[in-house]
Amino acid sequence: MLSRIREIVVYRELLSTLVARDLKLRYKNSVLGFLWSLVNPLLLMVVFTIVFTIMIPDLRVPNFPVFVLCAVLPWNFFSTAILSSIHSISSNGHLIKKVYFPLEVLPLSTVLSNLINFLLAFVVLLFMIVMFRIPLTGALLWLPVVVLAHLLFTGGVALVLATMNVFYRDTGVIMEVLIQAWFFLTPVFYPLEILPSSALVWGIELPVQRLVYVLNPMASIIASYRAILYGSTLGSPPHAPAFDFLARTLVTAALCFVAGLWVFGRFRTRFAEEV
Amino acid sequence: MVAMRFENVSKRFVMSHDRARSFQELMLRTFRRNARSASETLWALRGVSFEILPGEAVAIVGRNGSGKSTCLKLMTRILTPTEGRVEVQGRVAGLLELGAGFHPELTGRDNIYLNGALMGLSRREIARRLEEIVTFAELERFVDAQIKFYSSGMTMRLGFSIAVCVNPEILLVDEVLAVGDQSFQAKCLQRIEQVRQSGVTIVFVSHALDTVRALCNRAIWLDQGELREDGPCDDVVASYVASVQAPEGVTVG
Repeated sequence: MLSRIREIVVYRELLSTLVARDLKLRYKNSVLGFLWSLVNPLLLMVVFTIVFTIMIPDLRVPNFPVFVLCAVLPWNFFSTAILSSIHSISSNGHLIKKVYFPLEVLPLSTVLSNLINFLLAFVVLLFMIVMFRIPLTGALLWLPVVVLAHLLFTGGVALVLATMNVFYRDTGVIMEVLIQAWFFLTPVFYPLEILPSSALVWGIELPVQRLVYVLNPMASIIASYRAILYGSTLGSPPHAPAFDFLARTLVTAALCFVAGLWVFGRFRTRFAEEV
Repeated sequence: MVAMRFENVSKRFVMSHDRARSFQELMLRTFRRNARSASETLWALRGVSFEILPGEAVAIVGRNGSGKSTCLKLMTRILTPTEGRVEVQGRVAGLLELGAGFHPELTGRDNIYLNGALMGLSRREIARRLEEIVTFAELERFVDAQIKFYSSGMTMRLGFSIAVCVNPEILLVDEVLAVGDQSFQAKCLQRIEQVRQSGVTIVFVSHALDTVRALCNRAIWLDQGELREDGPCDDVVASYVASVQAPEGVTVG
């Protein structure tokens, strides 16, 4: 495992070159390339705001556009990074069969280029925060930690799914459906607090709120972004997430990343024969 | 110190014709029990051992399907051996990947950086060699054009040029020199010769036996995945030619 990481570090220039290539290709063909990437989250923000403040007004979340946007942007980073890195191994067969390099850089570079895109989109979020007069507090200093956890988790999932797609080519199709389900199960456009703390399903008592946190690392990650940038739905200003909560989130994300590297490394030597 | 060591290396390919290739198939499989899996195995290499010393120029000869390409892919670590050990010392650049890493939408210059990075070079090292690469490929006027506008000859020239200019310690040359016009081919051979004289280890796979004889001092003859003969180039090539010309009987494995 350590030797794998060392090799990725040796090839870090390849990683940065691939990221640069990704961004270049994405933005080259249209001057509006970057602005286009903002259309989707902004549209989602507008739609959710209309639905939950005008059509269904009982949610009573203050500053709803900011509430939604500071969850939609991270979610979009996660889902686009995952969906585009799934094919990163299987569609690069011509390369993998001919040149040796640590293949981990393929999914990881896709994740990183999406990260940069996400960070650029943050400018718009900051603009919205200022416009809605939500105070920018010292809690913002925790942002790098949250981004790191987010990045590690996304990287881990990307590595596993890219591996799966080499052997089972419909992984991408299945994930497109699953990611949609995942989106609805994650508190992106609703606050976690409206979930019941427990519910009876077929006679079994389920601690719904806890389950969402425990089973879904994205819920914790998005909750952290929200705490830092938006505050609480009761209208209190942004605050640092509880330390143990953040630590748990970070450790979970790091474990997911290590697991991803392990799975990838386990099957890596068969890629050149399978793609 | 050896540049490369093959220790009893075997490579088996398993072609399972009906392994499920998607989750959908996997699901259907559970309902249809009768389909028994029939997989074919192919030993591309069997118990091959040899050592190559730094600075040697070794040719690998053999019929189609004798395991030459598998051998090269094991040397580059693209494939891992099923049994045995492959040891390689130093940076390997392969001419089998001419232009493999090229992206059609990017310019020649960007592609040089990308390909260099694929070989593990840093931006600085590539920048230092850029001039040389472009000049050798005779593409001065086109570096800033997208690769998709290049002719296939231009692409090959650029690929070759990158591979020889990154100062590899081991250069693997697969059947690639067939591309390009006469004068560029001659230039390539001259360049490979020059690289050889500077002490770079060269492994050469070709059916052009004249070139093999001119370039290499040693040859390894692979026959159906097994090492048939290993020795001075002229001798091995001579007995290989004799076996190819011999009628029947030899190929039965």
